[in-house]
Amino acid sequence: MRQRNWFLWAGALVLVLAFVLGVLPFIAQFPGQGALPWLDLLLSILAVVLVILGLRLAIREPQRYRGKAVGWVFTAVSSLLLVFSCLAFYGARQIPRANAAPHVGQKAPDFELKDTTGRNISLAQLLAEPLEASQNSPPKAVLLVFYRGYW
Amino acid sequence: MAISVDAPEVSRNLAQKAGYSFTLLSDPDASVIRRYQLLHTRGGPEGSDISRPAEFLVDSSGTVRWTNFTEDIRVRARAAEMLAAAASIN
Repeated sequence: MRQRNWFLWAGALVLVLAFVLGVLPFIAQFPGQGALPWLDLLLSILAVVLVILGLRLAIREPQRYRGKAVGWVFTAVSSLLLVFSCLAFYGARQIPRANAAPHVGQKAPDFELKDTTGRNISLAQLLAEPLEASQNSPPKAVLLVFYRGYW
Repeated sequence: MAISVDAPEVSRNLAQKAGYSFTLLSDPDASVIRRYQLLHTRGGPEGSDISRPAEFLVDSSGTVRWTNFTEDIRVRARAAEMLAAAASIN
């Protein structure tokens, strides 16, 4: 009776975790979510290591351990995911630094842009006027969210 | 409120689909994005210029009180941290 190859199954579990973590950062809403991309990368590497260890056992001691065929499949899948994780990690960080952007304590440059109805709105206006007719005082602050667009 | 290079019609669709009630502003030639030093040259599809992700909280005097500049486009400011920053302004 040959033993179950636990390395392979531990590798598969980590592989699934890495896959889930690779998708999670976009929607994560908890403190420390910034570590998720790093964790995804780490788990992707760990999955490949575990699966290769399992495959090595199955090849070296086929009388004792199962999983030679599965080992090759898992190695291919986990290697592919690692390549994908690395590319995603690299790609997601290819954004220019914001060193010259307005920082805390500086004045936010005023601007005037069109809203979704085509009406011109300025920052000064947003800061000075109540957001809705039902309110009678201007907002205490305005949150400016610059996003990449193409949604 | 949110700013991108998307045209007003595109932003209107997004707001409708997602149910956003906040103001979405269009900066199609990225002039304001440039003024805020946030331009991501050829960062968009087909090599168009777009904004890098960034969040600013501006108080009623026009002064920046809180910022967030991510290093990874997959990681954005959380609603809770933005609300906390807003709550700290009197």
